[in-house]
Amino acid sequence: MNNKLIINYTPGPTMMHKLTGFTKVFLFAVMSAAIISTFDIRLLVPLLIINVIEIVSMKPDYKPIVVMFAITFVTVTLVGNIMLFFVSPGVGLTNVGAEHVIWRISDKLYLSKEFLWYIFVFFIKRTASFASVIAFALATTPSEFASGLNKCGLNYKICTIVSLAYRTIPDIANDFINIRNSMMMRGVELSKKASVGKRLKNTVLILVPLIFTAFGKVGNIANAMDLRGYGKHKKRTWYAEHEKTRWDPVIRALTVLLLALTLYYIIRYRIIDPYPVDYWCPWVPREEIQQTNAIDTLFIIKWIKRLKGE
Amino acid sequence: MKEPIISFKNFGFRYKQQKNPTLFDIDLDIYPGEKILILGASGSGKTTLCNCINGLIPFSYEGEITGTCTVNGTETSSASIFRLSDSVGTVLQDTDAQFVGLSVGEDIAFSMENDMVPRAEMLPVIEKNASMVGMQDFIGHVPFNLSGGQKQKVAIAGVFGNDVEILIFDEPLASLDPQMGMTAVELIDDISKETGKTVIIIEHRLEDVLHRHVDRIILMSAGRIVADMSPDDLLRSSLLSEYGIREPLYLTAMKYAGCSLDDNNLCDLDALELSSDNKERLKAFFTEEREAVKENTNEPVVTFSDVSYSYDSRKKVLRDISFEIRRGERIAIIGRNGAGKSTAAKLLCGIIRPDAGTIMLEGTDTSTLSVKEIGEKVGYVMQDPNTMIVKDIIKDEVGLALEIRSIPQDEAERRINTALETCGLYRMRNWPVDSISYGQKKRVTVASMMAIEPDIFVLDEPTAGQDYHSYTEIMKFVNTLNREYGKTILFITHDMHLAIENTDRAIVFSDGELIASDRVFSVLADPDVISRASLKQTSLYTLAVKLGLDPESTIRHFIEYEREVESLE
Repeated sequence: MNNKLIINYTPGPTMMHKLTGFTKVFLFAVMSAAIISTFDIRLLVPLLIINVIEIVSMKPDYKPIVVMFAITFVTVTLVGNIMLFFVSPGVGLTNVGAEHVIWRISDKLYLSKEFLWYIFVFFIKRTASFASVIAFALATTPSEFASGLNKCGLNYKICTIVSLAYRTIPDIANDFINIRNSMMMRGVELSKKASVGKRLKNTVLILVPLIFTAFGKVGNIANAMDLRGYGKHKKRTWYAEHEKTRWDPVIRALTVLLLALTLYYIIRYRIIDPYPVDYWCPWVPREEIQQTNAIDTLFIIKWIKRLKGE
Repeated sequence: MKEPIISFKNFGFRYKQQKNPTLFDIDLDIYPGEKILILGASGSGKTTLCNCINGLIPFSYEGEITGTCTVNGTETSSASIFRLSDSVGTVLQDTDAQFVGLSVGEDIAFSMENDMVPRAEMLPVIEKNASMVGMQDFIGHVPFNLSGGQKQKVAIAGVFGNDVEILIFDEPLASLDPQMGMTAVELIDDISKETGKTVIIIEHRLEDVLHRHVDRIILMSAGRIVADMSPDDLLRSSLLSEYGIREPLYLTAMKYAGCSLDDNNLCDLDALELSSDNKERLKAFFTEEREAVKENTNEPVVTFSDVSYSYDSRKKVLRDISFEIRRGERIAIIGRNGAGKSTAAKLLCGIIRPDAGTIMLEGTDTSTLSVKEIGEKVGYVMQDPNTMIVKDIIKDEVGLALEIRSIPQDEAERRINTALETCGLYRMRNWPVDSISYGQKKRVTVASMMAIEPDIFVLDEPTAGQDYHSYTEIMKFVNTLNREYGKTILFITHDMHLAIENTDRAIVFSDGELIASDRVFSVLADPDVISRASLKQTSLYTLAVKLGLDPESTIRHFIEYEREVESLE
C-alpha cells in the first residue's frame, strides 16, 4: 500500500533520505519557487535534470511513479493540449511572440511551430514540478515533513495536522476495504457489472460508515494527545528532526544558491528588464517578437516603462 | 499512615450533555505504590472515574463536579491537564488511536517533544523505555506493522516519557489475544513492582487481571463504588454475579462441585490452598459419569479441500487447508492475528478466491458463484458494527439487502419482521440507529444478515469490547439461531470462555496451517496447540493439574455439566 501512495513512512538508506527534514522542506520550497517563476526552457531543463537525479539516487520502485506519470501525462497533457488546439491555436503567438504556420486548416484553426513549442515548454515545466514533488515525497517521511515545516517557521499545530493526516491514511484505506467487502456480501454491487450511476450511488453508501468510524477515532486521538501534554508550550521539539548529516550543509548551501539565482532571475528578467514574452524560443529573436503577452502578471511594469517611452 | 496519592471526597460528576450525574458519592483513597483494579460492567462509570484522575475531566469533557478530587496534592478541578500529565500517565483502551507518532521511537518521544526536551536527551530515554517493555528492536518500525500487543507496549513506554507517578490502564486487555493479554498483565505487574509506581487498572475481565496479584479491587456499578475489598473477599462474596462480572472459571467449577470458599489465596489459583474436603468434592465432580455431548453427524455444509491462498506471490497465507463443517455445528475458529483465520473466512465468503483447492458450499463449488450469491448462503458479521451500518433507521438497515435484490414488498416485510423479532429489535424498528447501544447495533447487523436468510453465520469477534452482560445476551441470541433455526455458526474469536461455553468444535490456525480441528476440550487441553495459537491455558487446565487429574477429561466434564444445566433451564 505504501508503494501505491508513494508515501514513505520509514527513512530510506540513501543520502537524500538521510537529510534532515528542514533541509528537504527548504529544498522543495525553493525548487518549487524556481520552477514556478520561469517559463524559460534553458532553466527548466536543468531543474528537471536535478530532480531526476535526486529520484534516481534514491533507487525507488519505479512502477508506481511511472503509472502516476503516465496518468498525469495522458490526462493533463494530451487531452488538455488537444482541447487547447481546438479552442485557441493562437497561444503560440501570445506567449512566444511570433507565428510560423505549418498546417492551416482554416482561418481560425491552424497549427504553428510556436504552438508546438508552447506545449513542449509547458510539458517540461509540468514534468519538472512533478519530478520535484516525487523527489520530495520519496525522500521525506511525514514526520520529517512536519518537523521541517515547523523549523521553517510554521505553527507546530498546523505541522502536526500534516503528520496526523498521513498517519491515518493507511487506517482509513483499511476500513474502506473492510466496509466494501461487507457491502459486497450484502449484495451491493461495486464491480464493473453495475452501471456507473449505480456504482457511484453504492460507493456513497460506503462513505457513510467510513466517515463515522473516522470521526470516532478523532476523539480518541485528541484525548491521547492531551494526556501526553500536547499543546503545553508555545514550541515543541521534534524527534524526527535528527542531527545534520555530512551532506546537509552542502545541500543547504546549494539550495541557498538556487534561491539566490531564482531571486536574481525574477528581479533581472521579470522586473528590471522583462522579456517581452513569457517563452524564450530559439528561432524567435528578441527583435522579431510581434506581440507581447496580453495577460502578464507584470504588465503594469511594462506599461509604466512604455509610458516612460523606453 | 501514608498520605493518599489520590483522594476522592464526596465526589460526583455530571457530563454537560447529560441530565443525571455519571458518578455519585465517590469516597476513595489510593496510596502510593498500590495496585488497584477498578472493576465494573460497561457504563458503570469506571472510565469516567479515571478521566477525573488524569484530567480529561474537566479539560476535554465539560461538566459539573461536586466534592473534591486531589491527585498528588493538586485539586484536579483547578489544575490543568498538563500539570496532571506530569504525574499521571494513561494508557488508553484503543491501542491504535493513541499511537500518535509515525514510528515507535517517535511515539515514545511524543510527551518529551511537547515538553521541549532536546532530541539528544530524548534518545537515551527512548532507548531505556523501549527496552523496559521489550520493544528496543522495533524503534524504527511504523505503527501499521505492529500487533495490538506491541502497540500497547509502545503506549506504556510512551507514558513513561514524562516520568509519572501514577499509571492508569483503561481496559488494557480489550484488543489483545489471550497470550498477549497475559503478557500485558505480567508487564504491568513487573513495572509496578520494579518502579513502585501507583497502578490503576480498569477492566471487566477479572480472571485475566488476577493472573497477577492486585492489592485491592474497587467494584463499581451505576456510578457508585459498591465494594472496596481484597480480591479474596470479593471472590467469596456474591457481589460478582450481582453486578454482572464474570467470575474465574475455576471458581465456577468449585461452586458447581459445592466447595466451600474459605480456602486461602482464593484469587490466585497457583497459590490456592485447597482444603482436603474441597479436593475430594472437585475430584468427585470431575470424575462423575455424565451424558456425553452428542456429536454432530449432519451432512457437511462447508468443505475446504487443499485450499491455498497468498496475497502476493512471496508468502502463502494459507497452505493446503482442508476441513469440513456440518450443518448446525457451532465452530470456533481460533488463531493469533495473521494466522489465517480471517483469510479463511474471506475465502468462504468469496471476497477472495483460492489459488489452489476447492471450497464447496452446500454441495456447490464456490468458484462458480458470485460474492452476492455466496452472500445469500453465508452471512458475515464484522467485528465493529459501526463499519457495517449505512442506513439511519433500523428497519431500513435490516432491509437493505432485500431492497438490492428487489424482493417483493410483502415477502421482504415478512423477512424483516422475522429477523427483527428474533433479534429482539421489533419494538425499536423505527428508531434511528444512532440512538441504540453498541450491543444493540451488533444485533442490528446480525438481523440484517438474517433477513437474507443464510444458513451459515460467520461472526467475527462477536464479544470484543463487551462486558459480561451483553456477552451473555448476544450468546443467548446466537444460540437461539443455532438451536431453533438450525443455523450453522462460525465464531472467529480469541475468547476462550466463548469457545468453552458456546461451541462444539474448534478449528485452529497457526502460520497459515490448520493445526487442530477437534472438540473444544481436546484443543484446550493440548499445550502445543495452545501456545501455537497464542491462547492461554484455561484455569480449568491448571486446576486439573493441581488435582492430579487429566486436563482433557476435566474440561470435558465441565462442559458437559454446563450443557446439562443449560438444557434444564
